[in-house]
Amino acid sequence: MLLDGYQPLDGTYDELFSGVEPRPEFSRALEPLARSAIDEHARAQALAEIALLNQGVTFSVYSDQRGAEKIFPFCLIPRIISADDWERLERGLEQRVRALGLFLDDLYDGQRVLAESVIPRELVLAAKHYLPTLRGVRPPAGVRIHIAGIDLVRDPAGTFRVLEDNLRTPSGVSYVLENRVVSKRVIPRALDAARVHRVDLYPARLGEALRSVAPDGVDPESATVVVLTPGPYNSAYFEHSFLARQMGLELVLAADLFVDGDCCYVATTRGPRRVDVIYRRTDEAFLDPDEFRPDSLIGVRGLMRAWRAGRVTLANAPGNGVADDKAVYPFVPDLIRFYLSEEPLLEQVPTYVCARADDCAYVVEHLGELVVKAVDEAGGYGMLMGPQSTAAEQGEFRTRILAEPRRYIAQPRVEISTCPTWDADERAVRPRRIDLRPYILTGRDGPWVLPGGLTRVALAPGSYVVNSSQGGGSKDTWVLKR
Amino acid sequence: MISRVADHCFWFGRYVERTESTARVLAVTRALALDGELTPRQAWAPVVIVSGQDAEFQAEHGEEGLGDGELVQRYLARDMDSTVSIVRSVAAARENARSIREVIAQEVWEVINELHLWLRSSAADGDWANHRHGFYRRVRNSSQLLLGLLRSTMLHDTPLDFIWLGMLLERTGQTARLLDVHHHALTQLAPASPALQTQSQSMTGSAPTHRVVETALWLSLLRACSGFEPFMKRYQGRVADGAVAAFLILESRFPRSIRYCVRSAYDRLCAIRPPADAHLPGGRSLEALHALDAWVDAVTPQDLTTRGIHAVLTHVVDEVSSVCDKIGSELLGYGRAPTADPVNQ
Repeated sequence: MLLDGYQPLDGTYDELFSGVEPRPEFSRALEPLARSAIDEHARAQALAEIALLNQGVTFSVYSDQRGAEKIFPFCLIPRIISADDWERLERGLEQRVRALGLFLDDLYDGQRVLAESVIPRELVLAAKHYLPTLRGVRPPAGVRIHIAGIDLVRDPAGTFRVLEDNLRTPSGVSYVLENRVVSKRVIPRALDAARVHRVDLYPARLGEALRSVAPDGVDPESATVVVLTPGPYNSAYFEHSFLARQMGLELVLAADLFVDGDCCYVATTRGPRRVDVIYRRTDEAFLDPDEFRPDSLIGVRGLMRAWRAGRVTLANAPGNGVADDKAVYPFVPDLIRFYLSEEPLLEQVPTYVCARADDCAYVVEHLGELVVKAVDEAGGYGMLMGPQSTAAEQGEFRTRILAEPRRYIAQPRVEISTCPTWDADERAVRPRRIDLRPYILTGRDGPWVLPGGLTRVALAPGSYVVNSSQGGGSKDTWVLKR
Repeated sequence: MISRVADHCFWFGRYVERTESTARVLAVTRALALDGELTPRQAWAPVVIVSGQDAEFQAEHGEEGLGDGELVQRYLARDMDSTVSIVRSVAAARENARSIREVIAQEVWEVINELHLWLRSSAADGDWANHRHGFYRRVRNSSQLLLGLLRSTMLHDTPLDFIWLGMLLERTGQTARLLDVHHHALTQLAPASPALQTQSQSMTGSAPTHRVVETALWLSLLRACSGFEPFMKRYQGRVADGAVAAFLILESRFPRSIRYCVRSAYDRLCAIRPPADAHLPGGRSLEALHALDAWVDAVTPQDLTTRGIHAVLTHVVDEVSSVCDKIGSELLGYGRAPTADPVNQ
């Protein structure tokens, strides 16, 4: 049988198993899976992969002249979250997004947070994504973080910890929706037995949130909302096109938009049409050649002027990047206390900020135990995995950190949790490490957390890296109903 | 509808039609050349001229290249450097389709994608070398499948109207140029023959030795336009007397005739931009296409003789090109100065 003899890793929390037994709270959900035979599961897994390929749930491979597209590897065995755990997470995520929003409001206005030294002034003002020219701009409806993706891991004690905030253009939600379609098709009995919260209302909620933040004076019900994509060669183009189709909105390129006066228009075959809200999936550095990179070919000239004038909503708002900066991250619990007068509900990973002399001294002495990250890089670049590094690599990082301490933070490596995962080579179920990215939407009426999220899994044995570019896959995430 | 999306639809239609037309012309000319009644040059030079790439072709392959059927076929079917080749048209159609995946059906995407991948595969090399007819047939079948799928899977709404508008205007131009070039070739057959000295007289017969060749040319032209059987039904095999030219220009029930294509294109444009909605952009396009439709409608078989076929076709080709320019600037967003004033669109 599929789950017979499953052996979690020592010293690591397993999402579905406690020792060699399935966790009792998931026994109902796991029963149909546990009863399926290896051959049966291998067949179902193959069916699932074909379904994803046929649906075209793919990401583009750059520079591929033949137009080949790859599927994001998918493991049919779900990641399950209990109703209790989810409620705690949900409250913690709402709290975090509210505090980060208030931090951005303050930072781009009176900067009380700096005056009261809650966070070191130079640390914030030197952040790569802090945009001083946007000070004094209040976005339409006062919302800045319309869509957030917060990355979480679970430590050996079973505690969820925030690893990173994504407040600019978080991606991946299309996989959440498509993975569920496949689960419904391929393992309907398990899904039915588990009683799982639905995720397919995400596009409707997103559309609602986007309409709700239309500029003042525009009726949300008749607002023109568009999805702005960098184009078909962007690796996430499938998701842009998918979300536009699901919401029934137009998918536009920068070349379709223009700004006249302080208003933004889309060129249609029936003449220009005023655009009220833009869900932009273009990086802000490329949004407007007048304001940011003058070499941008995927920008709309004058768009930032229209945004400043409050005539068009940009989701997410430009300037958010300072709040998901890795050097700001260690201070988020303090920001929550400062703005909300509440204790943070979500734990974080302990972090050494090299800009502080004490931390810096500790970090350079303990490089072999720490994960060092450059604050302004993402996707695994500029990183030192201490426990797996050579003396030479450590020496190189020591020099770099001492030269520019502001650029680095360090964290102990978390033994992140595992989930039973199908290993096609071994034709068996093995523990593999996973993370979780829930999605939080914020409209005029405050935040809403999608009951589910993207679970990424490191498919290679022993790996901690869940990125799709480095052999990661995904799982359907089941949040159980009460 | 967003202008850029309309532009992709319009060109998707044009490139699919161009692909089919090129494949058909090459296949038919190959059959004609095999009959051996024409010199290779008489058979192949018109094909290059129809493509509009006469100068480019000669610059690369010399004037004598026009008499080399293999060279002409490779240039028009498989040469990635030739802007009018089948591989380039298919690649362009696919690029347009790729940008409007949310507009077209999955099946449509699959057909154009498969055709594109096949053209670059060793399987296509094999068919090209050993089964040339099969090569052209596959290209033609895929194009026809696309046109059928579009109608049976898409909402019959503005995006499909733009695809069809592009397809019909492309087809008008293809039929006109094909007829013009063949007609010209016929006049070249026997320059000394008094009967062939004027265009009108070329229709009315010639020396008996040329009669067979002339008929063969007309029949191959009909095949190139997929009009052989419809023509035979209509005229019971009477090929002479300019009947073929009249059929291809004026037969309102034949879906590749100029009259049919222009009328249908005008209908599509009326659906996109109703003549009554004067406040919408597209007024000049509509007016120009309406004028062309009325002009073609007024042409009589007699006019073909008095004015000359070449003059009639030249007018059609020029006007189609002018209509396309107007559609481009009014509806598809070419060279638009960003302004919110609809009058200036």
